[in-house]
Amino acid sequence: MNLNKLTIKEAHKLLEGREITSVELVKAHFDEIKKRDKDIHAFLFLNEEEALEAAKKVDERISKGEPIEMLAGIPAAIKDIILIGGTKVTAASKILENYIAPYDATVIKKLKEEEAIFIGKTNMDEFAMGSSTENSAFGPTRNPVDLERVPGGSSGGSAAAVKAGFCVYALGSDTGGSIRQPAGFCGVVGFKPTYGAVSRHGLIAMASSLDQIGPIARNVDDAAAVFEAIRGKDELDSTSVNMDWQDHWNSPLDIEEIKIGVPREYFIHGLNPEIEKNIKSVISKLEKEGAKIEEISLPYSEWALATYYIIMPAEVSANLARFDGIKYGYSRMETPFPLGNGVSKLIDVYLKTRGEGFGAEVRRRIMLGTYILSAGYYDAYYTRAQKVRQLIKQDFDRAFKEVDVIITPTSPTTAFKFGEKTQDPLSMYLADIYTVSVNLAGVPGISIPVANEQGLPVGLQLIGKNFDDVRLLRIAKIIETIIK
Amino acid sequence: MLTKKEVEKIAELARLGLAEKEKEKFAEDLSSVIGYIQKLSEVNVEKVEPMTGGTDLESITRQDDETKSIFDSQTRKQILNAAPDREDDYFKVPSILE
Repeated sequence: MNLNKLTIKEAHKLLEGREITSVELVKAHFDEIKKRDKDIHAFLFLNEEEALEAAKKVDERISKGEPIEMLAGIPAAIKDIILIGGTKVTAASKILENYIAPYDATVIKKLKEEEAIFIGKTNMDEFAMGSSTENSAFGPTRNPVDLERVPGGSSGGSAAAVKAGFCVYALGSDTGGSIRQPAGFCGVVGFKPTYGAVSRHGLIAMASSLDQIGPIARNVDDAAAVFEAIRGKDELDSTSVNMDWQDHWNSPLDIEEIKIGVPREYFIHGLNPEIEKNIKSVISKLEKEGAKIEEISLPYSEWALATYYIIMPAEVSANLARFDGIKYGYSRMETPFPLGNGVSKLIDVYLKTRGEGFGAEVRRRIMLGTYILSAGYYDAYYTRAQKVRQLIKQDFDRAFKEVDVIITPTSPTTAFKFGEKTQDPLSMYLADIYTVSVNLAGVPGISIPVANEQGLPVGLQLIGKNFDDVRLLRIAKIIETIIK
Repeated sequence: MLTKKEVEKIAELARLGLAEKEKEKFAEDLSSVIGYIQKLSEVNVEKVEPMTGGTDLESITRQDDETKSIFDSQTRKQILNAAPDREDDYFKVPSILE
């Protein structure tokens, strides 16, 4: 039996049936990591000792005949932007290289209640800014499908770890596509829940009105199981929402009842024709099975990426002001303080700390945000972008009056080669053209692998209504079954 | 196209140190993105209300309760210990008054 390809449900059954122990399962994953992660570099660091200890505890409970939670004893990888108390958390940045998280993120607290096992922290673009993990201060991650290619980003380490069999599932974060795009590039499932469905407490903030934590997993069932464990209102995140999650995960949902929208704006220039062919062939399969397919229009899609590249850097520049070398992290403050002009000394601490601590892309976005929010430009850029964001959201509201879900490609291309887009930031930004609207509107989105194009995975994105996450997952599962 | 001087001004506002040889590359990169986002001027936004957050929620408030702390004393200690320099429960910074 290959313990490195199990789904959550399969692993849970084997643990419950005492066919394997959690310690065996965890060890099998560390063995695989030791064998292959020097080539892939999905992990920034591992928590082997703690993981084995936690696994032993679960095994003890099982041997006593106690019932266990769905995620108990199952190894998970966590994107290194989510805090696990007492463990390093770097956001793949030099500025946090030696920082120890003082508390657990709410999602970690919830997974601990389920006795999930955390095997390590995964690589990413610095502060989640990027689409390839090439912006990590600690070196890029390679795509397990083809080591010459990027795994996508920013949650590239998490997607690669799931694909490579280093963990059963992983957590990522998604601000403009950072869960869905790497899931698409690596051929796994990536789910960004509705904004407010999952608490952001303990997630290092990038752009607070867009960030959301979600699972990366082998199939839709697993993504749903993780989502069920981590969602919910949290007192420590005032934007989290109290929802009565009417699950009915198991009640029948007939494909003939499903109305699927295909936005014409997503199938135009810039889309790789092979990807278009693959997505269209899934759509015609669904139609044959009885789903109702409707062409729809999301007219403001054309301005989504420009809107995103105003809202996001504006929030980035405000959020990252906290890294100043005074409170924690990398610091160029000299102690005792040198004598002389105090003000210039303090400014010097900021300039040196931030100039040396942040990588080029992070500094680029902070400067972009600073420019956008500066006097004279605020209304022309920021206020205008907030208005266009409203129009983009209204596009979705209108569409969901007609259809249940919207189908699009996850990305305009398959996984690209290292260095292909690093010289021109704008070409890298275009990798997120199909995913950013979802974050701007706050709606849930999922990427599922639907095809292979010359050996490289193709992701299909499904977009759902606000807080209709469970139905979105169920429809994704139907599609997953049909294309198999 | 942003000038080197404008890049220096933005970097100063953002409290970011830049190496001399980076400035031109940043000017080029920022100009290309700023050029791209000009695209929004094509959109008619008359009478559109700005969307100011990720949800429709409005200013969530709670009762201020000074007896309630979200962190225990251990966590508090860890947070303070992460500072490069401190005195008692204060972060220490260079004096800004002569």
